[in-house]
Amino acid sequence: MLVFAISDKGGTGRSVTSSNIVYRRALQGQDVCYLDFDFGSPTVGAIFRVSGAARGTLKGGLHRYLEGEIAEPTRIDVWVESDRDALRSKPPGAGQMVLFPGDEGGAEFPTFEGEMVERCVRLFAKLQEQFDLVMVDLSAGRSHAALLALAATARLPKIPCRWLVFHRWTRQHILAADGLVTGTHGLLDAGEAHGHHRALLADRIRFVRTAVLDPGAAELDGLRDTQKTWLSEFDRELRELASRHGVGRTSMLGKVPLDPVLQWREQLITDEDVQGTMIANVETVVAFDELAKKIVDDAAWEGL
Amino acid sequence: MLIMGEVRTGLLQNSAEVPESDLSSVLGLLAGERVRISRRPILHALSPDLLTGVDCLLPSAAQAKIRGVGTVVSRCSITGGRVVQSSSYVRVTKAETGHRLPWSHYLARPGVIEVLGKAAAADLADGFLAFGLPGEHLDVGSISDRLMDTVQAAESLDRASPFRSTQTRLRWVAASGEPGVRFVLGEGVERRVRITYEGEFSTAVLDLCEDLALHDWLLTTLLVIVERARIGAAPRAEVSARLAPAVDALLHLWMPGARIHPSLAPLWESLELAPGFTRQWQSLVERVRDQFAVNTLALLLRETNPV
Amino acid sequence: MTTFSEVTAERQIKSAPLSHVSVEVGHLYLEDYQLGADRLREQFALVTPWLETVRRDWRARVPGGRARVSTCFLIDDCFGRFSTPAEVVPMIRKAADDNGLTIDYLARESACVSADGVPLAKLVADRLVPDPPPDTRGWRRSTSETGWLANGVRSPMPRSGQAMRGPLRWEPPSQNAKRGHSIFVDVELWKDGPDGRVWSCPFLASVWQLLRLGLLRNEGELPVQPVSAGDAFPADWDELPPVVRLNPAATPFSAYTTMSVLSTRFLQVELAVRTILSQVSVDPEVLGQVQERSADERLRLAEQLVDRVSYVFL
Ligand SMILES: Nc1ncnc2c1ncn2[C@@H]1O[C@H](COP(=O)(O)OP(=O)(O)OP(=O)(O)O)[C@@H](O)[C@H]1O
Ligand SMILES: [Mg+2]
Repeated sequence: MLVFAISDKGGTGRSVTSSNIVYRRALQGQDVCYLDFDFGSPTVGAIFRVSGAARGTLKGGLHRYLEGEIAEPTRIDVWVESDRDALRSKPPGAGQMVLFPGDEGGAEFPTFEGEMVERCVRLFAKLQEQFDLVMVDLSAGRSHAALLALAATARLPKIPCRWLVFHRWTRQHILAADGLVTGTHGLLDAGEAHGHHRALLADRIRFVRTAVLDPGAAELDGLRDTQKTWLSEFDRELRELASRHGVGRTSMLGKVPLDPVLQWREQLITDEDVQGTMIANVETVVAFDELAKKIVDDAAWEGL
Repeated sequence: MLIMGEVRTGLLQNSAEVPESDLSSVLGLLAGERVRISRRPILHALSPDLLTGVDCLLPSAAQAKIRGVGTVVSRCSITGGRVVQSSSYVRVTKAETGHRLPWSHYLARPGVIEVLGKAAAADLADGFLAFGLPGEHLDVGSISDRLMDTVQAAESLDRASPFRSTQTRLRWVAASGEPGVRFVLGEGVERRVRITYEGEFSTAVLDLCEDLALHDWLLTTLLVIVERARIGAAPRAEVSARLAPAVDALLHLWMPGARIHPSLAPLWESLELAPGFTRQWQSLVERVRDQFAVNTLALLLRETNPV
Repeated sequence: MTTFSEVTAERQIKSAPLSHVSVEVGHLYLEDYQLGADRLREQFALVTPWLETVRRDWRARVPGGRARVSTCFLIDDCFGRFSTPAEVVPMIRKAADDNGLTIDYLARESACVSADGVPLAKLVADRLVPDPPPDTRGWRRSTSETGWLANGVRSPMPRSGQAMRGPLRWEPPSQNAKRGHSIFVDVELWKDGPDGRVWSCPFLASVWQLLRLGLLRNEGELPVQPVSAGDAFPADWDELPPVVRLNPAATPFSAYTTMSVLSTRFLQVELAVRTILSQVSVDPEVLGQVQERSADERLRLAEQLVDRVSYVFL
């Protein structure tokens, strides 16, 4: 299955959340891979702590592959090449976890031509053969990466694909997430222009809320009562706003709580971080784990 | 003269076994040429040969600049309606002149690459088997790869294979000499084979390489499935569920040497002694079958002694 | 020793009967037809001496002077249809007779698209193996996807490269087999439209040459078999066989070599034809058959296919 991670704004937590989902899915025993289609800033190697690809690869990554310069993009086996001890040995029963980095110094494509779509189609088809989950991290906003993904998937109707729209839990982000999907030149418009069926595509899109502060969370005990009340009320208002804009509960796949570790560092949260050093919250891991299951759970994706 | 080639092997992207009636359309890559189908001892379909022109540096272990011009032959096959192989190879010979000739000269010699200048067969063979960085030298793999993609994209395939699997890449070199074969298992998906054969080169050598690649892939794939099933660690029913697709799709495909010319059969037999493909396969298959037997037994016991 | 073989797993290739040379004495387009029978007579008058030269030449080359020369005439029924065979064929025959010229075979151009259910154009398109420019290492985007075939490297297009990368300067195209300077040729082979694929005139002309050279096979069989005609011709082009034998005493339609007598306005088309023919891969077994037959007759054929194809431009 192909899963595309997109957000209207930058810095929403798209990369960190989708990487953690991929990691959880691998631990659940599935073969997964992660494609860095954020062509403007290929940095996803940093989250997996693969030093050779922290700012993209020099060995020929997705940029050069899509431009037709190399026959196959470099792949990195995270279980082998990560610098983090906790990631460097594959737990028994876990699936493959492979990273496809962009090129170091690579940039956004100003446009794309037919051959690039063709190469993208071939890549997706080949990865689908090998991996249960193919996660594609797209650039923020209305990008050529997103158009390329829409054009390629329109030509692969037999391969199941799903879209995750990440957004933070604020007024601006809720409106922006809705706009990215339904606004002019949004995903649905662009998808239709590239040959997708609008309603079918809409059925394949779900929202993910990131870094959400739960007004009832234990960490907030230190707040003054006036602050707590305000938070609860504002949270309710946001929920109303979200459901008015089609970003509400029914179209939401899940939410990830605000986590102190992620606040400070972009990384995968391992069980060691929760149970060993106890720096991360167990709720965060539970949220990632749930998302990893829901992505492939057809019940969560029934037509709205 | 040196012959070198690469075979890519993978699972055909279809939920069910592809029936004989569909094989001709899936492998019909050349109008006016029949897909060759044989039914004994296993359903096997072979596409017509395709040609690709190349003019580039050949791989060299000594990093020598060796230019070759000619055509690469490729073909694709499907075994048991399940496993797809795409295979490309060239015969490297010395050119009679030091410069490139009109293209029709090479077209009249399908599958031959002529070396302009000096080249040592051993150096070429070592360079080729080193799986160097792509993009610098002759890349027969990219041709096989492309062909594989074309076949997997066939209209009649639903792209919903019963399990995920990885393609293997087997590179081989062959030269005439005292008959022998060496098989080296690489780290990831890479395999290396060196063959020496008696007499003239014929496609029987290619058949042998494809048969080796097929069985190596079956073994590799079953090993991964068995490892993932976590026999002993996961609940029995879960283990059986994970093993089931392999049982349905793969177990009956094991037929080493089935389509090999009798003159090359001893080579297969030597590989059966060491590393012993069939021995390993059989022990794996027994493990899989035992799991099913134990699981069935457990189910039966539960039925007869309900708790 | 036991043997076991399965028929579907084997491959058999028929061989074609061959003349020494196939001479195309004309090619009729709608425009020519509109100019009437006189125009045809003029054309045949110009062709006759050349045909005589070819005959003489071959008589001198083959032992005993028994040259097998067959003549053919092609009617264009692809790019605009006109009149009916019942009317046109007798007119052509008459115009030829008036010049003492015998037309042995008559073909319709649509036969080069598909004849008797065999998709000849597709068959040839699938056998194109483009001449690789230096530094072609493996697979590259091929003719089958673009519908164009060149004799070298095209002028590079400014790529839709990544942002913040400078534009590329114009660079010239170059011919692979150039002698100092290039003559770059890029041929459009077909166009895909709403009504399917439309093959270009040079592409069909290449199929026509290959047919005349007897080098095409469909599943091992000879694709187009000339059909003998009586004196009556159908009222519909579709009912006319792809290749009709007008002269019962004619030597075989296909030949070791071809010669076409054409108007100079076909020069460009034929340059394109040669560009295509030099990149078609013919079944080595078929080439071998032709080679053996010619050796038996103690003839030396040019190694390159394009060198077996010659012209007189008038
Ligand atoms: N659940 C979370 N709790 C706290 N901080 C988070 C959480 N998720 C992500 N973050 C942090 O938010 C910041 C942005 O995250 P990330 O880089 O994943 O966003 P992005 O949408 O991929 O951004 P860009 O558009 O720049 O690629 C990072 O510092 C990250 O660690
Ligand atoms: Mg990011």
